[in-house]
Amino acid sequence: MATSQDHHIMPMQTTGPNPVIHALGRLYGSFVGSFLIGAVAIAALLGLWQWLAVWFEVPTWLVPKPSDFLGRLVADWQTISYHAGATSLTILEGFALSVIVAVPLALAIVSIAALERGLYPVIVFLNIMPKTVIGPILIIWFGIGPVVAALIVFLMCFFPILVDSMSGFRAVDPRLFYISRSMGATRWQSFWKFRLPAAMPAIFSGMKIGVVKAVEGVIIAEFIASNKGLGFMIMQASSFMDMSLMFAGLIAAAIVALIFNGAMGIAERVLMPWGNAGH
Amino acid sequence: MAQMTETTQPLQSALGAHGSGRAGASIHAKGITKVYGQGGVSPFHALGPIDLDIKPGEFVSLIGPSGCGKSTTLLLTSGLEPVSDGTVEVDGKPLTKPISEVGIVFQDHLLLDFRTAMQNVLLQQEIRKLDAEKIRARAEMLFDRLGIRGSENKYPRQLSGGMRQRVSIARALVHDPSMLLMDEPFGALDAITRTQIRHDLEMLWLETKKTVLFITHSIEEAVGLSDRVLVMSQSPGQIVEEIKIDLPRPRPAHLGEYPEFSKYAERIYKIFAKLGVYKF
Ligand SMILES: Nc1ncnc2c1ncn2[C@@H]1O[C@H](COP(=O)(O)OP(=O)(O)OP(=O)(O)O)[C@@H](O)[C@H]1O
Ligand SMILES: [Mg+2]
Repeated sequence: MATSQDHHIMPMQTTGPNPVIHALGRLYGSFVGSFLIGAVAIAALLGLWQWLAVWFEVPTWLVPKPSDFLGRLVADWQTISYHAGATSLTILEGFALSVIVAVPLALAIVSIAALERGLYPVIVFLNIMPKTVIGPILIIWFGIGPVVAALIVFLMCFFPILVDSMSGFRAVDPRLFYISRSMGATRWQSFWKFRLPAAMPAIFSGMKIGVVKAVEGVIIAEFIASNKGLGFMIMQASSFMDMSLMFAGLIAAAIVALIFNGAMGIAERVLMPWGNAGH
Repeated sequence: MAQMTETTQPLQSALGAHGSGRAGASIHAKGITKVYGQGGVSPFHALGPIDLDIKPGEFVSLIGPSGCGKSTTLLLTSGLEPVSDGTVEVDGKPLTKPISEVGIVFQDHLLLDFRTAMQNVLLQQEIRKLDAEKIRARAEMLFDRLGIRGSENKYPRQLSGGMRQRVSIARALVHDPSMLLMDEPFGALDAITRTQIRHDLEMLWLETKKTVLFITHSIEEAVGLSDRVLVMSQSPGQIVEEIKIDLPRPRPAHLGEYPEFSKYAERIYKIFAKLGVYKF
């Protein structure tokens, strides 16, 4: 593959491996590699932690030993997975809602000059405002529950998706539309076949930032405004001084974050195989 | 580069078996002018008035200094931009909206990153809703003739600049248009690739006889390819001279073989010098 760049005029005689398989192969290789190194490092860290905690006889209510909270993760897995499921659902709802609203809105804003002038200052204002501030208001409107948490997640990932989608739609080379019009493409075709896919990498990078913000924000949202989810569970454990459950919740939250970020990475490779083809 | 000429199955017949083998269109433009931002605060007179009279199957080049309105001319003759004044007729029919019996190639390939080479070419079929099998056969033929066989399933960023430009030529021809508009198509390529691709284009044109309007900065390219070269003045560009190129085809890689070549080149240099395009 590397030599393809060197043959300017010669046609390629051999077809390279299927790009999708190729991409998956690389994903597998790099994933397994970094996973192994990461696992070893974490195991070493936990081992050291365990050893220090035992050696210095640190009480569990102050700093739990890895064996304590990992044990809780197993012993209480039903409770924890119930809350982890609720958290995941909240992330999914908030995130999906923000994609559904932000991407079309971005297109409308870049297509209609009046919208841009009228709406953009409002959006910028809403963006710099801390999102959790809205929590108490939402609680009055919707009552304490996962709906409020989902709405806060929505607000948190909405702006990066909006801003990146806008720049994606804007960055499309206008001469592409000459090509599409010379083909007699309808507006719909030129959106669907040219503009949306061309903007996809930018939309995706917005969605990736959005997911990071969502998994971060969801816990805080659940602290203040929900009656289930890992944030809620940790808050409750805190009021009982149940340190090992709090640490177990922390680990569960990290796993949820890992899964979501990983899913985004895989979705990107599957939906946009051209993004990292070659090079 | 032998493989490009070795398989000399005449394209016309090979393509004719699948497509209609549409002949070249005639292009008539009278007094076309372009003022960008007309009616706005700062209108800009970018082109004309110019007249064009291009016969079916003719290869005409437009050469002129940067910013003189060459690209604008191309957009006007395809109806992609409306004229500010004047009229354009293609095959005797006045142009009111973008015509679709056209293939366009720009300086940078403008392929879609997210489609493979073949998918980029087949986009013509998808959007125009043409017969998939016929177009696929034509596409394969063009890949063959343009020397990009084997690149069908590669994404544009996996191809070299020259290969990408070949793919975009295939895209411009796959639906069998009656005219081919090329805006500095080889401008971004290295000299060696440029010479080869010029020859490949000439061979393809000799067999299909599409009407070609070819925009270039390069005197060598203009003389090497054209039946006729139109020389434009600085902005707002007008056509100041028309030069018929009487050289046998196919023309060689090294055009200096022909003593006439340097005469043509000299004529164009002299026009540019007189216009003050060159200040030496
Ligand atoms: N959409 C536009 N709006 C305003 N001005 C334009 C627009 N397109 C082109 N122009 C101006 O019109 C003039 C002619 O542009 P054009 O692109 O046709 O030149 P060109 O001869 O193709 O130049 P080059 O050789 O550099 O490609 C330039 O001065 C350019 O700035
Ligand atoms: Mg130009």
